[in-house]
Amino acid sequence: MAGEVIYEVRNVSKHYGPVVALDGASFKLHAGEVVGLVGDNGAGKSTLVKVLSGAHDADGGELFLDGKEVRWTEPRQALDAGIETLYQESGLAPHLTVSQNVFLGREKFVKGIFGKLGFLARKQMESEAHRDLEAVGIAVPSSNRSVAQLSGGQRQAVAIGRAVSWAKRVIILDEPTNHLGARQAGEVLHIVKAAKAKGLGVIFISHTLPHVLEVTDRVIVLRLGKIVKDAPTNLFDGDTLVAMITGTITELPSEKKS
Amino acid sequence: MTDSKQQLSMKDRARSLVGNQTSLLIIVMIVLAGIFTAFSNGTFLSTGVFSTILTDWGALILLAVGQTLVVISGGIDLSVGSTVSLSTVVAGYVLVKVMHLNSTLTGSAAWGPLAIAALVAVLTGLVVGAINAVLINVLKIVPFIATLSTFGAAAGFAIIISGGMPLQGPTDFTLINPIRIPGIDVQTCDTGLLSPMVILMMIVITGVGLFLHKARFGLYTYAIGSNAFAARAAGINVTRHTAKIYLVSGALSGLAGFYAYVRLGGGSPSSGAGMELYAIAATVIGGASLMGGIGRMWGTALGTLILFTVQSGLLMTGVSPDWKQIVVAILIAAAVAVQTLQKKNGAR
Ligand SMILES: Nc1ncnc2c1ncn2[C@@H]1O[C@H](COP(=O)(O)OP(=O)(O)OP(=O)(O)O)[C@@H](O)[C@H]1O
Ligand SMILES: [Mg+2]
Repeated sequence: MAGEVIYEVRNVSKHYGPVVALDGASFKLHAGEVVGLVGDNGAGKSTLVKVLSGAHDADGGELFLDGKEVRWTEPRQALDAGIETLYQESGLAPHLTVSQNVFLGREKFVKGIFGKLGFLARKQMESEAHRDLEAVGIAVPSSNRSVAQLSGGQRQAVAIGRAVSWAKRVIILDEPTNHLGARQAGEVLHIVKAAKAKGLGVIFISHTLPHVLEVTDRVIVLRLGKIVKDAPTNLFDGDTLVAMITGTITELPSEKKS
Repeated sequence: MTDSKQQLSMKDRARSLVGNQTSLLIIVMIVLAGIFTAFSNGTFLSTGVFSTILTDWGALILLAVGQTLVVISGGIDLSVGSTVSLSTVVAGYVLVKVMHLNSTLTGSAAWGPLAIAALVAVLTGLVVGAINAVLINVLKIVPFIATLSTFGAAAGFAIIISGGMPLQGPTDFTLINPIRIPGIDVQTCDTGLLSPMVILMMIVITGVGLFLHKARFGLYTYAIGSNAFAARAAGINVTRHTAKIYLVSGALSGLAGFYAYVRLGGGSPSSGAGMELYAIAATVIGGASLMGGIGRMWGTALGTLILFTVQSGLLMTGVSPDWKQIVVAILIAAAVAVQTLQKKNGAR
């Protein structure tokens, strides 16, 4: 049911000084596919996310979007190409309001000469932000409230809503269910399925393995910066996934049989 | 997803830091004015002292406006005072040494050269701003150190270029004197607030304030000061925007240098000395946070007004002006202490 390859990563590496965070990672993401990215703390998941979103420049390797090689030096370029990212650490500006955050980098201007000078259509953005967040199933308190005044879960909800409502091709969610209660986490999984149904490619990162098993089509296991397994989700169960992440097994039981 | 009954009420708004800070500033203003009026036997606010100080210190408003942008973006610009000195000296140098004009040229005959002085001063300020931007964005030096270096360098160049002496040149003092309104006696009505240069500064503060609070330029400034990573991740070119902010601060310092030139009738290498302290003070007293993301242009306007009030008050009550710095220091400490308290109480 997955479509064409949208986003491809070939042999990407990234060092932070002496630390090798990513070591020759390669994989493909298809349209209408949810790929789970799992691995222990420090395995390199968030680093891979930042390379994919243009926040970090990789040391080596190539990225292909729709088969064409791309190179990001600024997140703006990836955003313009339809790639939205929810970062693990706060991707929101706490002093700005919900609507200012939702529209940050994509402001709406008033009409006429003042608009050309950069004057903002605040009311319009406030009501549209509210509408867009509701459309993806996120009801936030008043969109002219500053993000610092929201709870951790509400902030996470706003960040997810922003990513989902702007995404055109790819959506990358780095631990989206962080800070969320059980019900809200369930709603995030619902949002992921809806994005997939719309034909987006989704990268889903989580330490909550039942979520990964429920929502993904394929699982990629990262260990010490290397992709050690890339297989359909139905070949894993909770135990094999844990064993694979920690490195106690390197092959799936189903693979041994064949 | 996270439905909530919380609604933003007027009370919430009034409780926000800005609300608190503004009402507090106005109370401080009133209390200061009251004290000074009492101790000056009522002469405070009834004479032209305030406008004299505004004339002497008008340049400070421009520096505080620029500093507000820088501080909201999470930076600091220590170079502004030296930039005033440098730009006023460079303007004087061009008029006196290059164009060979002297102070016999006055009145409207000086307007042509003064236009050149304005251009030269603003360009000089832009150069300092550009150097700050390069140090911060390209060499990745923290703003405090980057602007500390340009602070020193600009002050040094100001002395070298001027030879340590004011360069006296053409000027038109009517530009800084109160506008004469027919039928109104300057003695009875203080029109000092209405000199052409003061009007120019009011236009600048209002204009920059509008861009800060209503336009994308300001939104990006707050966003960067609030969370630079998030700003970049949202597609903002943080490097370019930060550069713009330091350029604006530099240009405003240059404009302040032009003001100093007009007021003194020449370029004096010490005209901006110490002004960075007062510019930062006005900004911080006005409620801006040195951590970035917080600040208001009218807060800064009130902060500047408080500084003016303190200075004219000390003058009127016969206290030695040497106490000024100490009073300002206390005000800065008090402002920051109030901010910390407000944060602790959950107000934002
Ligand atoms: N900005 C940085 N500077 C230096 N080292 C970093 C930086 N970011 C990450 N690292 C290192 O790179 C490695 C990979 O980190 P990364 O954040 O990608 O892990 P992760 O898989 O997302 O872990 P987690 O599950 O804890 O979020 C770690 O060893 C980490 O210490
Ligand atoms: Mg991570």
